[in-house]
Amino acid sequence: MKQFLTVLRFELNNYFKNKSFLLTTIILIVLAVGIIALPGIITAVEGGSSASEESAAGTDESSGGGSEETVALLDENGSIADPEAFSAAMGMKIKWMECTDKDQVEDAVEDGKAEAGFIVEDLLHYTYVVENRSMSDTMQEAFSAAAAAVYRAQALTDQGLDPAEIEALYQTQPVYETQILGKDSVSNYAYTYMLIMILYFLLIFYGQMIATSVTSEKSNRAIEILVTSVDSSSLIFGKVLAGAIAGLIQCALILGSAVGAYQFFKDSWGGLLDNVFDIPIPVWAAFAVFGMMGYLLYAFCFGMLGALVSKTEDISKASMPVLMIYMISFFIAIFGMNDSNSMLIKVSSFIPFTSSNGMLIRIAMGSVEMWEVILSGALLAVFCVGAGVLAAKIFRFGTLMYGNPIKFTTALKKIREK
Amino acid sequence: MKLEVKDLRKSFGDKEVLHGISFSIESGKALGLLGRNGAGKTTTIRILMDVFRANSGTITVDGKPFHPKDFRIGYLPEERGLYPKKGVQEQLMYLAQLRGSSHSDAKKQSERWLKRLGVEEYAQRKLETLSKGNQQKVQLAQTLVCNPDLIILDEPFSGLDPVNSQILKDVIREQIEEGKLVIFSSHQMSYVEEFCEDIVLINHGDIVLSGNLDQIKREYGHNRLVISLGTDYQEPEQALRDYVGDLLRVVGRRKDQVIAEMKEGCTRELLLKELLERNLVPEEYGNYEPSLTEIFVEKAGDQA
Repeated sequence: MKQFLTVLRFELNNYFKNKSFLLTTIILIVLAVGIIALPGIITAVEGGSSASEESAAGTDESSGGGSEETVALLDENGSIADPEAFSAAMGMKIKWMECTDKDQVEDAVEDGKAEAGFIVEDLLHYTYVVENRSMSDTMQEAFSAAAAAVYRAQALTDQGLDPAEIEALYQTQPVYETQILGKDSVSNYAYTYMLIMILYFLLIFYGQMIATSVTSEKSNRAIEILVTSVDSSSLIFGKVLAGAIAGLIQCALILGSAVGAYQFFKDSWGGLLDNVFDIPIPVWAAFAVFGMMGYLLYAFCFGMLGALVSKTEDISKASMPVLMIYMISFFIAIFGMNDSNSMLIKVSSFIPFTSSNGMLIRIAMGSVEMWEVILSGALLAVFCVGAGVLAAKIFRFGTLMYGNPIKFTTALKKIREK
Repeated sequence: MKLEVKDLRKSFGDKEVLHGISFSIESGKALGLLGRNGAGKTTTIRILMDVFRANSGTITVDGKPFHPKDFRIGYLPEERGLYPKKGVQEQLMYLAQLRGSSHSDAKKQSERWLKRLGVEEYAQRKLETLSKGNQQKVQLAQTLVCNPDLIILDEPFSGLDPVNSQILKDVIREQIEEGKLVIFSSHQMSYVEEFCEDIVLINHGDIVLSGNLDQIKREYGHNRLVISLGTDYQEPEQALRDYVGDLLRVVGRRKDQVIAEMKEGCTRELLLKELLERNLVPEEYGNYEPSLTEIFVEKAGDQA
């Protein structure tokens, strides 16, 4: 136990004295706080500038609505009686450039005098002319909607009906209340997704770091002194747990500062991120237990892989199988979140390599019995300890096997022979 | 403390690399473990350190089974290595604590050894910034920092210049005088001769020679003489063969000295008399004491 604590302290120091670790943590904290503070800062800046503009220019039109766009228009049959009213119906500020023929419209668009152009045959038939159509171009949809509205209004008026009355009828919305007896997947989705992403990043970053810390002792030949000084279980458990603790501390610092910053800038977000940060205690508990054990299970696997190779450059290749297993677990989780009571998520919540995500989703978003949680947790705990013991054995075996990477199956066979 | 190794056998796959190694050593003495490359020295040491398990054989201390974890062992492996990116003292303290030292003791001992070996100014520096020789000294400090009862040094002099070798020699001598049990593996026979009372010579996984070094030398020198006929004779071996070939057999040459083995019935006095009668006046005439290198080459150099 004393040796384990010595290894743990030494390995933790390695993380906390590592400049890139400290720098990453600081950058991520600044980034998280910065993003959360951004709307507040923008509001403050905009509020200040609009106030000064008002005092300088006296009166100004409402600041909303975006900038005015110039649009070429060839209205062949006089279908658009009032272009001003039409652009208001489109919900845009448009300066219409009246054209007399098609070529004029095309030239105006080509020369950049107009952002776009419309050649209108009648309200139900028109051509949209644009130089380059962007992904976010909504001009045509707006034109179609406005044209259809004007056409409907004209048709209704022709039949002696009041278009405003009909429009009001269409806009009628029933008044309702929702009473959720279980869990609301809509609001839980955000934080469950965030927790799964946190686990994912923890594993991707720390898995490699743990494997590297094991392999580097082989590559710098410190291993022979270490295995003759300390029990291999203390060594591997110390290394893996140090990685786990360092990851948790880093994660807590980043998440903690994000939550803290959100409390401060909550108003500027208009409560938009409440769903992300308002996580109930049982979900935190599930994340702590299942997330932690799942993380440890994979961390031991990475430790094992580290012991099987001798050069740090071999790690990324050797860690592919474990990463693949985790990616499968991750994608099951991401797709399964759409239906947290699906059979896929139920099955994955019991398999130790996927239960850290699976059970977390069921607890956060679906319905789950206590016995299921206990059974899945116990299975994961057993696998976790088993992986730790196996990692220690493989570590002991792989210690002085320098040179080419050892196959996992070969290592298992050799251990069994012993 | 008496460490006894009996009939160690070890195989890697189908190949047996140790065919029954036995030796013993007591506190306050140094044992030289000799052998050519690949003879089985490091494997023997690794079995002692419980890095490998032997297929058969026993290791005992004062008659009880030897478990390395019950003792403070200073081990300098042939494959040198520490943490290049960590501070010198930091890693010494870590290794001392892993071997049971308290934090304060580890600090005190690491300071003591860094000072004793003349590298105290690098205590806070990263290991990789030190010269190779100074890194070797840190390796040695690592070996001794836990105040070990048993010291195992695998090729400790490799990479050291003469000044550093002298420091290391002094340190090893001190440790032997303090009653530590030292096992010493080296190719450099002169160092082995300086420290070791006993030697074990391993060749192809077998012990081909073992025992007290002085006694071995005497036995090897038994019946052999060193004769120098001076510069008058260009081929002294031939001269000896021609004049007293019925009394001796020439077995070797050391510069202008001829090493000769007396044939049965011949004595030192008789041979000298015969030489003088034939007007062969030797400039040097005495008992031959072989160097360890000569013994090594004769015993282990057979299948070069």
